[in-house]
Amino acid sequence: MTDDLQAILESKRRYRQRLAARPLAEKLRMLDALRERALLVRPTSSSLVREEPPTCRGKAGGMNRAERSEPA
Amino acid sequence: MNIQEVIQTITQMQADGIIDTYAIGGAVGATFHLEPVSTLDVDIFVSFRSEPDSLLVSPRSIYDYLTARGCAADGEYLIIAGWPVQFLPPTGPLAEEALAKAVVHDVAGVPARVFSAEHLAAIALQTGRAKDKARLLQFVESGTLDAATFQDILTRHALTGQWAQFQRQFLSDTP
Repeated sequence: MTDDLQAILESKRRYRQRLAARPLAEKLRMLDALRERALLVRPTSSSLVREEPPTCRGKAGGMNRAERSEPA
Repeated sequence: MNIQEVIQTITQMQADGIIDTYAIGGAVGATFHLEPVSTLDVDIFVSFRSEPDSLLVSPRSIYDYLTARGCAADGEYLIIAGWPVQFLPPTGPLAEEALAKAVVHDVAGVPARVFSAEHLAAIALQTGRAKDKARLLQFVESGTLDAATFQDILTRHALTGQWAQFQRQFLSDTP
């Protein structure tokens, strides 16, 4: 790894640290903006853009249609 | 689209007795500890309140409460303030502990219960998808993890083997 690349990576790390240190309300507004951008670049046939369902034990068993007695 | 409104709604649901303990997990939870982590949905872990006259717990009251207030349902999500929100029970011991030990953060005057950085990192390790590994790396590189607390969680939840493998794969200079 060259010194130049080291400097670039270090610069990126500092930038991420500065972002992480921003006030929570500001970071949450950034999430809103990031999601809006993601929706723009990920057209879908559904009105809802969703993520891949996780497979870990901790996230299995989310609320489903049957549990909510929602009409199919 | 306003995620602060989602947090306000969840807080109000707790105040109204619809849910007991809750905590924000996933990428939104990680954003409380790291730089903003882009995501498409919100994961809310909840201890579902028992239905009257039933030993079973049910998310029905959440669905009824939110749809009565104009929130739409889409598959396993409820749409709050433009965000798809998924309510998840903590089905494993690690998530149960994360929920019990979640930390309260102040978001512009609204309290938000969020998984600790160490629990989010451990859950990412346990889940093990590519994006979870990337998030775990973010936690490690950010220096936000308390090493003793993290190691304690890994030990108690039998994740030390996975952690060693992760370290070999991503944190070692020599392949």
